[in-house]
Amino acid sequence: MPERNYDMVKKALNCPVTRRQVLKSLVAAGVLVAVPGGLMRAATSSDKINYDEIFYEGPYETFRNACPRNCYDTCSIVTYVKDGAVQFVEGAPESTFTDGGLCVKGNSYWNTTYSPDRVKYPMLQESRGSGNWKRISWDEALDRIAKKILEIKDKDGSLLGLALSKYSGNFGITNYGVEGMMSSLGYTTRFVGTPCWPAGIDAQNYDMGNMWCNDPEDFAKSKYIILWGVNPAWCSVHSMKYLFDAQDKGAKVLAIDPVFTQTSAKADEYWQVKTGEDGALALGMARHLLDKNMVDREFVNTHSVGFNEFEEYLKNEITVEWAAEKSGIPAAVIASTAEEFATAKPATIWIGYGLQRHVNGGVTVRSIDALVAMTGNVGKEGGGARYGHLQTWGFNYHALVQKQPKGSKGFSGTTGPKGEFAPELEETKFSDRTLNINKTARGLLEADNPPIRMLWVSCKNPVSQDFDLNLMKKAFKKPEMVVVVEKFFTQTAELADILLPVTTNLEEWTVNASYWHYWLGLNEQAVKPLYESKSNIEIAAALSQKMNELSPGSCTFPTEIDTKEWMIKEFNKGIYDLFGLKSWEDLKKGPHKAKLTSTAAWHDHKFATPSGKYEFLSELAAKHGHNALPKYKANRKPYAPLRLLTPHSKFNIHSQFQNLDWMHDFNPEPYVYVHPKTAADKGIAEGDRVLVFSKVGEVKVKAKLTDNVPRDALLMYEAWYNKNNFNVQNVVDDESSDMGKYKTGAPGVAIHDQFADVKKA
Amino acid sequence: MELSLVIFTVLSQISIGLAVMLAVRQWAVSEGTAPSSFRFEWIVIGVALAIALAASLFHLGHPFGSPRAVLHLGSSWLSREIVVMQIFGILVVVALVALWKGSANSWTLVKITALVGLVGLAVSGMVYAPPSFPALNNGVPIIFYGLTAFILGSAFSSYFAGEDKQPLLTQILTISLIVGLVINLILPSIWLSGGRVMQMTGAAYFGSALFWLRLVVEFGLGLAVLGVFRKIPIWLPVLLLAGEIVGRIMFFTHVVHSAVNIGNLY
Amino acid sequence: MKKQIAFFVDTRRCIGCFTCAMACKNQYHQPSGVKWRDVHPMSEEIYPHRECAHLTLACNHCEKPTCLEVCPVVAYYKRDEDGVVVHEQEKCIGCGNCIRSCPYGAPKYNPALKKAEKCSFCWQRLDADREPACVQACPTRALQMVDLSNFDEPDTVQYIAGFPRFTKLNPSIRFRPPRQPLEIRRK
Repeated sequence: MPERNYDMVKKALNCPVTRRQVLKSLVAAGVLVAVPGGLMRAATSSDKINYDEIFYEGPYETFRNACPRNCYDTCSIVTYVKDGAVQFVEGAPESTFTDGGLCVKGNSYWNTTYSPDRVKYPMLQESRGSGNWKRISWDEALDRIAKKILEIKDKDGSLLGLALSKYSGNFGITNYGVEGMMSSLGYTTRFVGTPCWPAGIDAQNYDMGNMWCNDPEDFAKSKYIILWGVNPAWCSVHSMKYLFDAQDKGAKVLAIDPVFTQTSAKADEYWQVKTGEDGALALGMARHLLDKNMVDREFVNTHSVGFNEFEEYLKNEITVEWAAEKSGIPAAVIASTAEEFATAKPATIWIGYGLQRHVNGGVTVRSIDALVAMTGNVGKEGGGARYGHLQTWGFNYHALVQKQPKGSKGFSGTTGPKGEFAPELEETKFSDRTLNINKTARGLLEADNPPIRMLWVSCKNPVSQDFDLNLMKKAFKKPEMVVVVEKFFTQTAELADILLPVTTNLEEWTVNASYWHYWLGLNEQAVKPLYESKSNIEIAAALSQKMNELSPGSCTFPTEIDTKEWMIKEFNKGIYDLFGLKSWEDLKKGPHKAKLTSTAAWHDHKFATPSGKYEFLSELAAKHGHNALPKYKANRKPYAPLRLLTPHSKFNIHSQFQNLDWMHDFNPEPYVYVHPKTAADKGIAEGDRVLVFSKVGEVKVKAKLTDNVPRDALLMYEAWYNKNNFNVQNVVDDESSDMGKYKTGAPGVAIHDQFADVKKA
Repeated sequence: MELSLVIFTVLSQISIGLAVMLAVRQWAVSEGTAPSSFRFEWIVIGVALAIALAASLFHLGHPFGSPRAVLHLGSSWLSREIVVMQIFGILVVVALVALWKGSANSWTLVKITALVGLVGLAVSGMVYAPPSFPALNNGVPIIFYGLTAFILGSAFSSYFAGEDKQPLLTQILTISLIVGLVINLILPSIWLSGGRVMQMTGAAYFGSALFWLRLVVEFGLGLAVLGVFRKIPIWLPVLLLAGEIVGRIMFFTHVVHSAVNIGNLY
Repeated sequence: MKKQIAFFVDTRRCIGCFTCAMACKNQYHQPSGVKWRDVHPMSEEIYPHRECAHLTLACNHCEKPTCLEVCPVVAYYKRDEDGVVVHEQEKCIGCGNCIRSCPYGAPKYNPALKKAEKCSFCWQRLDADREPACVQACPTRALQMVDLSNFDEPDTVQYIAGFPRFTKLNPSIRFRPPRQPLEIRRK
């Protein structure tokens, strides 16, 4: 018998839902009150268990849900409920993209919802970071929060001392009510931008006027697919079937990645490019096509501007040999592949987000866009420079758009904060103060006039996920009050004063779109909120009520809301027309796909650039301080012997899922992946505990040896493991990427331009 | 480490071993000794067996279901082991009654009990020889169990046997220890030339300090003592018992299960 | 040949995403540490790229199942209609014999219930005309349910490297071996 028996049995006894037991108390009370020791009887009382009960026994009540995580696949979920409790989830069969199945993370939603580790009640931490948590009532929590807000307003004459840290923890559209809540209080400080994909967004905007990708379900129409700096086998599992379909039809799939990933193993060919030199590689291919006269002149002449200048640049400053030297890919291979790519009709490139997390990320994406454009593949079904899209995000953002109370003061002049998902707000006399989300620690420490006195965190876990952990920990000491809205006691929650329990997606009404496929999914409230959790807009309404109690008119957010109504309010004619819906209720029958006239983006070649054409030469880019052409930009100079890569794991979406018991069963601990030769040089053996260190900080972790990782790099997957202070951000700083400010308000982060060394611990 | 199974197998093998040794002692020498003088010894055999069976119940998740464990005689060695052990147990009780009464057929009962005990060793060995343990998917467990029975049976039998029977027991013990030593040395080396799972088992044995310690103390020291003193000192059976327990623990902890190797070459 | 349903693991399409393993947890809520299905990376001796090829395994519903043979209380039976090997938990006394004896490690010990349990091929779902949870969940259709009595997929094997070979049991499972890409590596 394993030693963990005792722990496992203890857990089973404390688990609020034992297998196949009806949550009678939950049904009766409407809310489960989990008392340690449990109201639920132990599963070990064998005389009472009826083993004849079968596991899968219908009938169930089914609900439509959607996965609101920051993931390409945004799955449509069918939730099976019995007696008011979730029994299991499945993928919606109606969506050809989801195709009836979720992923390892989606399938753990029962564990998320009923985890004994969930934040159940509002909690007060007496002395930030002490771990001395006390349960308080919602009333007390909101009272403390409201009083603090009013105190700030009194002291500074504005609410600029109140800051919001929020990003992609929950993409259910009604969750923009958090921003709405901030606005309804006054003009506040917002961390704007995105750590995720800003450089590439700007790049695609400079080139084509918008970020818009083909329907990923059209990969099967492609004859040549380059997966460039993207790992869909881990990060977009539902896309893989389309790639396999394409291969079955004879298409060639080439994976370009510094790391040999799971995706690389499925490709026909793999290139181990030197990290950060993808731009050189793309330019080298472009130069070769020029030499071989394999440019689609028809497209270039009719639908683009600036190709002559681009051509001149390539002829004067780029050679295939140079590209080979920079990227590490042999010249002959670059040449032959460029020709194959140009000959295949159509050909496409999937541009990953990891690819642009470099100081030269934006321009790299521009050079890859250029390769697709000059071969005439933009606007073709099965073609295109695929990055992402926001075509299906045209909601009302009713929750987001709230008015500041009369007489609110803020920053004067410039337009309000940007975000790539939300619409641009109109110019006002005052506005929110904006700080770079990618330099949150610096922002918290350095903001002044007024300083940041209060931080509200929702749908984000900055202490786990943001850069330069040592600086972040220092920064979190600065605000006078930190309020965190969370499901679990995350690393950010650990530094909160007040922790508010939030609902999971199975407990709230909202609607979800994807930035990759073209399906729309309804998210019904499958079960009532557990414990005392509230959704973000319910929290906003409750706060508003308390604010107005203490100071009438201090908050314009409605104090009574019906969350289902608020979901309905997000729909508009645009959405209905795009998806061919008569009403939102059509989505109850299943997710719906946008009615596309073509699976290709830019199928009409009517680009949204100033010229209306594809811009190899972008004056707007020049205006913004970049090169007008996608000219080669060097990578960041290393400050340590080895490159440090911290990409995404298949077992988690950032700090979500890995902390769950079920995920621990399949992925119990983190590792650093080291090339065997590098390890040998340092006397590191498989399984040794090592120290990954740099000027930024250090991480102690176990080593795994593999030549999947290049000789000159270390790899750690970013994740939050439960009760483990492993955090890659100890060795990642906040160096900016080149682009991102144009469309998202702040430049991105060069997450993969980090360096470190390793030694035995 | 399957403590309850260690106790069950070792104690039941002591019980069987003692019964067998008692029968052997009587076989080798002419009849004459009164059955009643073996009552205490037979009680010890019964108690050892009782503790063993109790330990085996502790191994079950649901001990109250154990009566049903005899239902699968057709294919389950475990069902068969339980039946044979039950018969052995019943015979021990019946023989005890006969010995107490001093009845004429008590010797016959003792011999039958011993025979059934030997069958029990074989059946028990088969239970622990499933395909999942390549190192043991053969007659090896039967051999190990037999060795335990003979080593501890003859050793502890010396506590009860008269002076005239001691040389016989010493001889049996010596031979058993020699056989045991050879077997314990040869087997891991045979395993080292097998498939990966067998190799892992061999390496686990040879690489274990406990393995060598046991060989030296139980077999090395045991044989040396017997060679020098030509009889079984009173403390030797305790030492041998410790060695057998260590050996049995290793049987459960150091033998590698084939599922461990999934994903690797066989 | 009688109908014998089996898992077909196409390792060419399998991306080691663990969706199947988690789908089983999602359906049955086994306690921590109890996994009916697990995904095993193929060692670098077999597939030269670490953790880039996997074997997803649950129970092989063998033709001659060891678990069924060794169970003292006859808690297992093999369904006539499709060959699924079912464990009847109410009969189980938690002796652990099947757990020890199955060479594939299919039966697991549930410490909360103190009984053995294993992949049931989701027979209740099968009877309700649904696919097993793991098969339905697989995003690439790498894990499929097939009937061996009429299975004739090309280039498939019963014992892929990394899957223990126990011919006496005749496990009901088939595999398609994985492929490798052409690699261009930096010097």
